[in-house]
Amino acid sequence: MKFSVQDITRNIWLTIVTVTILILALFSVNMLMVVRVISQNAIDAVKQKIDISLYLKTDASDAAIANLRTQITGMDLVKQVSFVSKNDALTSFREKNRNNADVLNALRELGQNPLSPSLVILPKNADDAPQLIAQLQNIDSDIIDSRDFTDNTLLLTKINGITGKINEVGLFLIFIFIFTSMLVAYNSIKVAIYTHRREIEIMRLVGAPNSFIFMPFLMSAVIYALFSILVITTVFFPFLSLLQPYMDVFFTGYNVNIMDYFTSNWLLIFGSQFLAVAFISVMSSWLAIRRYARV
Amino acid sequence: MIKLEQAYKSYPRNIEVLRDINLSIDAGEFVSLVGQSGSGKTTLVKILIGEEKIESGKVIIGDWDITNISRREVPYLRRQIGVIFQDFKLLPQKTLRENVAFALEVCGQKQAKINRIVTTVLRIVGLEDKAEHYPNEVSGGEQQRAAIARALVHQPKILLADEPTGNLDSINANEIIDLLLRINNFGTTVILVTHNREIVNGLKKRVIAIEAGRVISDQEKGKYLL
Repeated sequence: MKFSVQDITRNIWLTIVTVTILILALFSVNMLMVVRVISQNAIDAVKQKIDISLYLKTDASDAAIANLRTQITGMDLVKQVSFVSKNDALTSFREKNRNNADVLNALRELGQNPLSPSLVILPKNADDAPQLIAQLQNIDSDIIDSRDFTDNTLLLTKINGITGKINEVGLFLIFIFIFTSMLVAYNSIKVAIYTHRREIEIMRLVGAPNSFIFMPFLMSAVIYALFSILVITTVFFPFLSLLQPYMDVFFTGYNVNIMDYFTSNWLLIFGSQFLAVAFISVMSSWLAIRRYARV
Repeated sequence: MIKLEQAYKSYPRNIEVLRDINLSIDAGEFVSLVGQSGSGKTTLVKILIGEEKIESGKVIIGDWDITNISRREVPYLRRQIGVIFQDFKLLPQKTLRENVAFALEVCGQKQAKINRIVTTVLRIVGLEDKAEHYPNEVSGGEQQRAAIARALVHQPKILLADEPTGNLDSINANEIIDLLLRINNFGTTVILVTHNREIVNGLKKRVIAIEAGRVISDQEKGKYLL
């Protein structure tokens, strides 16, 4: 341990560089986790909003609408069916297009409500939407005017696609940082071996066991890992607390709490990162020791 | 004690260093190994301490065939063979006492035992009064004596001295040789690798001459004739 600490302090700038690279690697890993948590929450939020609309004929009677509604509510995959009247549809349409003057002018020119009443169907599970759609296709009813099934599932597919791409890029960046960390750890230990070459030479000459020679360098590698985890834990939580208000604004109405996620899983997250970084550092050091200290 | 049978060693690009070396050195002998630079003397020393391996033949030390010694076993071999070099190999930031003690510390010995052994070997080499000095505060001869003391801490059966007088004036060189002879009188096998003609001829001990990787002469009470 004394040898290890001596080596770290003798090569303080090299230690700083090594730990900095490890911290950057850990930061990228943790940022990827943040992205995954956010994207997973976003996907879950969208999934909750997936609905299927059945547009009804404008002259459909209340009784026929009620019958159809009851029939669809009784289906296994259906969670809820809501009725949107012509007036409700018009109000919603005006609200959605309140900033679009052309659309509002066209509506005024028409002079009448062109929108149809509809039944909005929420599936119990968004993943069952295709199956539900197939069942709805087979409903035979005179009052159904048209069926719109594509919009939200398309959105979900797009989000899945984007987050998949983000994950791929993130993994690639992580791989680059891990590789760089290994190289830096390897070179740091190589320099440490060079700095201690006289002691190592004499230790080998007088019959010191190999473990006595290589253990201090492996200890240095573990200390690098420990120090980088301590720094990242100290830095990342304040970073998250700065980020959280923006998350709250962006995801208004949805409970996307990154801070909670990291706080409740901090031991697992940072514990496993420490083990991974320590393993990478120790392996790199071992390779350097085998090659340059000849033990 | 030491036996080499048809030992052959070469380096990449077919550079032959030792060719068909057959040697036998008994326990308690004092042997001078002589030859010009590049004859293979230092390579032979490296082979005896497990630093290098031969490609064919055998190397036996005591009852131990070290021909294919593993990396893990090398430290144990080196505790049985004391080695000193021309450049002393002392740590400049440690006193002479600390340098000698270092050899025992790295092998995990207890402090009380270390203190006892270090005091004894420093007395043997005549450095009790200079024990707390740093290497740069003592003469070359005293530094070499400290290196000898360090080589003796494990009570080795063999002491290998690779050009121990190379950096010393004639007075200090003679002191070192006298010390080696005293150590040999205690029963330690001493192998002196040198190309100092006066020292070898003055010893009147066994002389093994190596040239171009081969043993060209082996004489009891020999002389350096190359």
